[in-house]
Amino acid sequence: MKSSTTNHLALSTQAISKYFYQPRTFQVLKEISFDVQKGEFLSLIGKSGSGKSTLLYVLSTMDTSYEGKLAINGQTLTGKSQNELAAFRNEHIGFVFQFHYLLPEFTAIDNVMLPALKLGKKTKAEIKKKALENLEILGIAEQATKPASQLSGGQQQRVAIARALINDPAVIMGDEPTGNLDSKNTKIVFDIFRQLAREHGQTIIAVTHDDDFAANCDRIIELSDGRLL
Amino acid sequence: MIRKTNLKIVFAHLTSRVKQTMVAILSVTFGISMYIFLNSFMNGVNGTQTELAFSTLAHIRVYNDLPEDRSNLLAGSFDQPTAINIRNARVIQYREGIRNSAKVLHTLAALPQIKAYTPQVNINVFFRNGASQVNGLLSGVEVVSEETLFKPSQYMAKGQWNDLGYRADGIVLGKGLAKKLSVKLHDKVMVATASGITRSYEIIGIIETTLANVDNAKAFIKIGAARQLLSKNAGYVTDIQVNIGDFDQARKVADKLRPLVDFKVEPWQEANGQLDAANSLRNILAVAVSFTILLVAGFGIYNIMNMTVNEKIREIAILKAMGFNGRDIIEIFLTQSVIIGMLGGVVGMALGNVISRIVNQIPFQIATLETLPIAYQAEDYIMASVFGLCTTFIAGYLPARKAANIDPVEIIRG
Ligand SMILES: Nc1ncnc2c1ncn2[C@@H]1O[C@H](COP(=O)(O)OP(=O)(O)OP(=O)(O)O)[C@@H](O)[C@H]1O
Ligand SMILES: [Mg+2]
Repeated sequence: MKSSTTNHLALSTQAISKYFYQPRTFQVLKEISFDVQKGEFLSLIGKSGSGKSTLLYVLSTMDTSYEGKLAINGQTLTGKSQNELAAFRNEHIGFVFQFHYLLPEFTAIDNVMLPALKLGKKTKAEIKKKALENLEILGIAEQATKPASQLSGGQQQRVAIARALINDPAVIMGDEPTGNLDSKNTKIVFDIFRQLAREHGQTIIAVTHDDDFAANCDRIIELSDGRLL
Repeated sequence: MIRKTNLKIVFAHLTSRVKQTMVAILSVTFGISMYIFLNSFMNGVNGTQTELAFSTLAHIRVYNDLPEDRSNLLAGSFDQPTAINIRNARVIQYREGIRNSAKVLHTLAALPQIKAYTPQVNINVFFRNGASQVNGLLSGVEVVSEETLFKPSQYMAKGQWNDLGYRADGIVLGKGLAKKLSVKLHDKVMVATASGITRSYEIIGIIETTLANVDNAKAFIKIGAARQLLSKNAGYVTDIQVNIGDFDQARKVADKLRPLVDFKVEPWQEANGQLDAANSLRNILAVAVSFTILLVAGFGIYNIMNMTVNEKIREIAILKAMGFNGRDIIEIFLTQSVIIGMLGGVVGMALGNVISRIVNQIPFQIATLETLPIAYQAEDYIMASVFGLCTTFIAGYLPARKAANIDPVEIIRG
């Protein structure tokens, strides 16, 4: 049984360490332990090279070669098989990459729909409706049927955010999700995150270099040389 | 079942690089069409060869042979401790030929595998015309059933095969034999048996089969005339030649027949090892060549799928990050290569058929042939699709597995 304290935790890490062995052995993450509450909007800041992206990959379950323990929504994910983790990611984690990664042959809306089609819990019509809504909120509904490869950097990033939200994931992780956006669109994305956290109890963990963005979050955690300050 | 979402990705891949997809399809098309053509050609050659060989050779021969082990005929007749001393053992054949053939023929008629049979009285004789004398085989045949088995009428250079049925004193000579004896149609030829009996026959036909051992040393007379020459009763035959549906089954049918008749039952492979060997060798060659071709086609698909995987490595990483698992990725790439294989296979079979038809028109006038021989067999097409699919499956699976094992972090980190 889960204890009541872990029950309202969206994410918890215990002494996560990670090493890179190429070109020489180097500890990139050092005993990182922290908890994130459900519905919390968290910023992860730190100098370039401090290990923010590396930590986010571990938290997203994509990177499994680390020491320590990771739990999301009270489920221990450390030690699970790749297939179990893939299914978990699909349903519970939305990820916005540092560099916008879309499938170039697919249209914007197809890109947004894909994780939901994979999950297969809603009909195609429902998924399409929700995808359009997401694009609408992010102000790129008119680009919905354009191939992803023909969108601008900022547009692509917003499509990627719409995609991350499609399955109503418990945790949304963004690696500089507003890195390519102007201040107006940054504000839109920030407000969306704010609203998702407050009204839907979704948890946001965003890496950012934007001090304004960070300042308005619920909590800031800072990485320095792989250690949590 | 392939998930619809995965299928959608497959089509996006196939249609985004049309040129590459075409090259992959063409490599399968080439492999399958060559497989079809080569096997059809090889089977055509084999068929012609066999048809020629079986124009004088029956699938199974039944005859009276000497007992096989001649060293101790008394073994089994006495108890162990009895000392037996046989000196200068020799077999005295007290029963020549098949004296009462009716019983054997009756047994043969009852077996469903047996399509046709003909009794023969074969005698080693000397053919004589004046001073020229040639050693050869005189075959006393039943004109009608001999025709159903060996179709000698097809090979008649002069005269009519059926006339033999009406002429007890008629003989059909091999073309080379006639030449050696310097005789022609309607001439007389003398035949002398080992026991010194001599008779004269009128040449009513000349046969040319292109097989030297027939053309140069064989002659045919009516079976009754042969019995008369040997002073044997009406049931006497030396050989019964048997044809079955599929000559490859000769050994099996012979094994079935053996306990039912008292005589030696010999499938054609036993007496004609060289024919059997040539057939087998040609088949092995065809298989080896076809597999090489399929292997090359397989490498074509493998290469292109590998290229696709390398090109799509970022997309694969994104898919995995979004929650697609290894099985999905394998499914996506395997489906892609199987679609390529099926398209290439269908076009390849059509092309193979067209090539075969064209080659079948090329003139080639040797022996009984007029054009290059081609056999159109459904099996070749079935095998081509089975092997083609297997090849694409393996050629697609290896790159697909590689794609499934991609570590998304490594790619996304950049
Ligand atoms: N695959 C790798 N092999 C070896 N070292 C790596 C690898 N990836 C990252 N590093 C190193 O690990 C450290 C942390 O990298 P990381 O990408 O997590 O930094 P970051 O905090 O995200 O920086 P930025 O703000 O520039 O994105 C860096 O020193 C980097 O050089
Ligand atoms: Mg980074």
